Amino acid sequence: MMDMEKNNVLQIKELKAGYEIKSGFVGAVDDVSFSLKKGEFLGIAGESGCGKSTLAYAIMNLLRDNGCIQSGTVQLNDVNIASLSEVEMKKIRWVDLSMVFQSAMNALNPVLKIGEQLTDAIFAHQDLSRTKAQARAKEVLELVDISSERYDAYPHQLSGGMKQRVMIAMALILQPDLVIMDEPTTALDVVVQRTIIEKIQELQRQFDFSVIFITHDLSLLVEISDKLAIMYAGKIIEFGNAHDVFTDPLHPYTEGLMASFPALTGPIKRMGGIEGKPPDLLNPPEGCRFAPRCQKAMDICRREYPKEYVKNDGHKVSCQLYREKMGENHE
Amino acid sequence: MMVIKSLANYTEKKWVRIMNNPEKQTKEDVILQLKHVNKHFPIHTFRSYGAVVHAMDDVSFQLNRGEILAIVGESGSGKTTTANVISRLYIQTAGEVLFEKEPLPEKMTKKEEIAYRKKAQMIFQDPFSSLNPTHTIASILSRPFVIHKLAKGKRAIREGIKDLLIQVGLEPPDQFIDKFPHELSGGQRQRVNIARTFSVNPELVLADEPTSMLDVSIRMSIMNIMLDLKEQKGMTYVYITHDLAGARYMAQNIAVMYAGMIMEIGSATQVINETYHPYTKLLKSAAPAPEMGLKRKKLITKGDIPSLVNPPSGCRFHPRCPYAQDICSKEIPQMKKVDEGHYARCVL
Amino acid sequence: MLGDIFKLFFENKKAAIGFFILLFFVGIAILAPVLAPYDPKANKIETVEILDTDRGRRKTVEREKINDFEETRIYTQEETTTYKQYTKKFPLNSAPSQAHYFGTTHSGQDIFSQVIWGTRISLTVGIGTGLFTTFIALTLALVAGYFGGLVDDIISLFTNVFLVIPGLPLMIVIAAYITVKGVMPIVLILALTSWPWPTRLLRSQVVSLKNRDFVKVSRSLGERPLYIIFNEMLPNMISLVMASFFQMTMAAIIGEATLEFLGLGNVSIVSWGTILYWAQNNGALLSGAWWWFLPPGIAIALIGTSFAMMNFAIDEISNPKLRKR
Repeated sequence: MMDMEKNNVLQIKELKAGYEIKSGFVGAVDDVSFSLKKGEFLGIAGESGCGKSTLAYAIMNLLRDNGCIQSGTVQLNDVNIASLSEVEMKKIRWVDLSMVFQSAMNALNPVLKIGEQLTDAIFAHQDLSRTKAQARAKEVLELVDISSERYDAYPHQLSGGMKQRVMIAMALILQPDLVIMDEPTTALDVVVQRTIIEKIQELQRQFDFSVIFITHDLSLLVEISDKLAIMYAGKIIEFGNAHDVFTDPLHPYTEGLMASFPALTGPIKRMGGIEGKPPDLLNPPEGCRFAPRCQKAMDICRREYPKEYVKNDGHKVSCQLYREKMGENHE
Repeated sequence: MMVIKSLANYTEKKWVRIMNNPEKQTKEDVILQLKHVNKHFPIHTFRSYGAVVHAMDDVSFQLNRGEILAIVGESGSGKTTTANVISRLYIQTAGEVLFEKEPLPEKMTKKEEIAYRKKAQMIFQDPFSSLNPTHTIASILSRPFVIHKLAKGKRAIREGIKDLLIQVGLEPPDQFIDKFPHELSGGQRQRVNIARTFSVNPELVLADEPTSMLDVSIRMSIMNIMLDLKEQKGMTYVYITHDLAGARYMAQNIAVMYAGMIMEIGSATQVINETYHPYTKLLKSAAPAPEMGLKRKKLITKGDIPSLVNPPSGCRFHPRCPYAQDICSKEIPQMKKVDEGHYARCVL
Repeated sequence: MLGDIFKLFFENKKAAIGFFILLFFVGIAILAPVLAPYDPKANKIETVEILDTDRGRRKTVEREKINDFEETRIYTQEETTTYKQYTKKFPLNSAPSQAHYFGTTHSGQDIFSQVIWGTRISLTVGIGTGLFTTFIALTLALVAGYFGGLVDDIISLFTNVFLVIPGLPLMIVIAAYITVKGVMPIVLILALTSWPWPTRLLRSQVVSLKNRDFVKVSRSLGERPLYIIFNEMLPNMISLVMASFFQMTMAAIIGEATLEFLGLGNVSIVSWGTILYWAQNNGALLSGAWWWFLPPGIAIALIGTSFAMMNFAIDEISNPKLRKR
């Protein structure tokens, strides 16, 4: 057991984070726990408002203004980065873990050349000579299939897909152990999306870093992730190997999500989708948060938040449907 | 061997139907025809004076009453422009648009315009910007009644609005009728848009990516509502999307557009199962399809979507096509018949 | 929707302060006759009291008896009335005191009364011009923005030409040539020189609204243009129109003061600008009579601030990113 834990790049325990507003606290991330091994690809699927972006920012310790981490630990290689000061975080960020933000292509400064922006990222975190930094920037551009001649290009001279690849290059430039990607391909066309994802997978195999890939497109995640976490209303309601979750979805929400993606092959059938909308995280409902929308909801669902049930292969789910099976395995 | 659970096992809704592809057209009642339609936008900047954006080139297709045609394409493919030309928000630069076998004139009188607008309606992509944020739902939905004289008197109009809300699944209507758009969720707003579109009982509905800005779990319910309404009222749709799987779910026929031209057109089964054009094959291999097995072949592609100001010579896909031949860069290929009702613009 | 905007407006601290200041000055303007201790143009107090009336005896000059019952008499009578006249001349150029809170001018007029009465002119000209200019700008913007084409080209050309002409010199030149001196010409001059800026701004918003989906939907449903302009687009422009109004009013108040200060208005009316004019003409700055130019100056600054604060509030309301939680 202990050896397996040593292998973990990231271990999150009971993380709670959210935003202070006038009327109270919005608990966007509520008691989230999971771990990630070196070189693993974790996909986090969830719809808007489920807290996945907050989770990403919390892991990076980037919550600002009225956002904060309430409790819990974020262990990166055995250091709890949730408790670090900003100065200490700066040393870790980009060097040990980095992030590709949503619509990152819009995060490029339009008046600076992309090469400069890459070297800026280096200088902010490391002391390298100018020549070495430039060389590294060109190297990383080639890695993402952008010719190093484009070092002097301005963002508007690049296509959307290329800009996104620059952002990925920027995230990898200091060889971090973990890269978090928040909806990196959502604004892109489907062919470009596929190319970028294949590039990410290729780089991951080459450099053996871990990836947390956050998106609402479950059908995409199923194809590319090793592990899959389904988030709903601030909680992870199902977790397991991508293949297990796909072939054997345990939680009704997961089933509902799967039934929201029409198939490209196979017979054409009417599909369900899920009615209703996610709860208000300022005042979440008692008990299971999916109960108001769940077809299989029972009385107990509305009263008690379900305990986690773990199947023998590490497939976890938080649902009252499995409360009788709890005796078989313990968390 | 893996037992792949069908994605459709979550049957929350009352209906589960298997829709057969009607390759035989029972009614040869043509409602919409586009014949070699071009739409070019001139560029007014100093540097590029005289240049045009080739948004649509040689677009031709035919749509029968009661059918759904999906136009699939990526950004810059010309699919939204096509919808705008059909709905007369733009006038085509060349070619003809025929509605119910009558060509649409370039300039329509006010009366003609209102009459056409009653028959051909459009649903936009962004559910929020399609609703005036300063109006209540009641006010927004009352306009079609007032303009097209569908009911008289405040009470009759309000009753009519409530009926509409029930039809699109916004029940109880009193809960929604006096709210403002920002008080509704994305899915609810799109339902209001659909209600507004259907209130004038149009014969043709142009849906421009109606679900792409919605949450995943809501998309299916919107698509289902559109299918239900179509069945109840016998409407015809042009459904524009970038999602091949969604197109297959909704439509009988699919047209694939690239850089302003239709590359392949045919029934949904033909285009997806008997794919002919290299671009369609590329789209198919790029689309997420987890039911096909978890490890797929690596995508083989190069290049990007071309600029519409200076599109590639000849076949617009040739710079990226793995099967490109000499002739592909010289001449634009004509639409060639591959099978009954199935055409592709390719020399292969 | 309107109710929401107003609610947000008054909840905002800046708006509340600005509005309070404005209300304060409006109150002063309305209550001027009651609040001002003296006539603004008077430089002395004069009272007359009757002390004594002395009637002398009647002296008969002629008497005529007509018959037993009638008679006429002519007589003279002298009367002497004694008056007590109290004159208090106001001190000339005096510093603030108990009797004169803001001191007196070169010719002894009470500045406090002048500032109070001056509020009327300054506010009416300012707000009146603001309303008038905003109205012109909005009309032109709606017509140019919605109808486009030739109409838009003409109006835009006109607007751009006037925009380029420097406002202050134009104001001065026009004012110098106008023979009729008074408040109305000033309003017209100010409106004429400041209309281009909000016109351009509002026109841009109209054009961008026109391309919003909900306007396209309205058009595709067959809605009449007038309905689209007034019921669909205009409600979405309220915050920008309000902001333009505040800015125009601010500019008008300062513009009016400027014109009066330069002597281009009617220098015999009492407004903050004319007070400054007379102060300048009589070397108040040189002689150190700070009480003459400081009060009107501060009043102008305060009113300007009030409108500026309300303007900030509008900015914050329309752009949620600027709001502080």
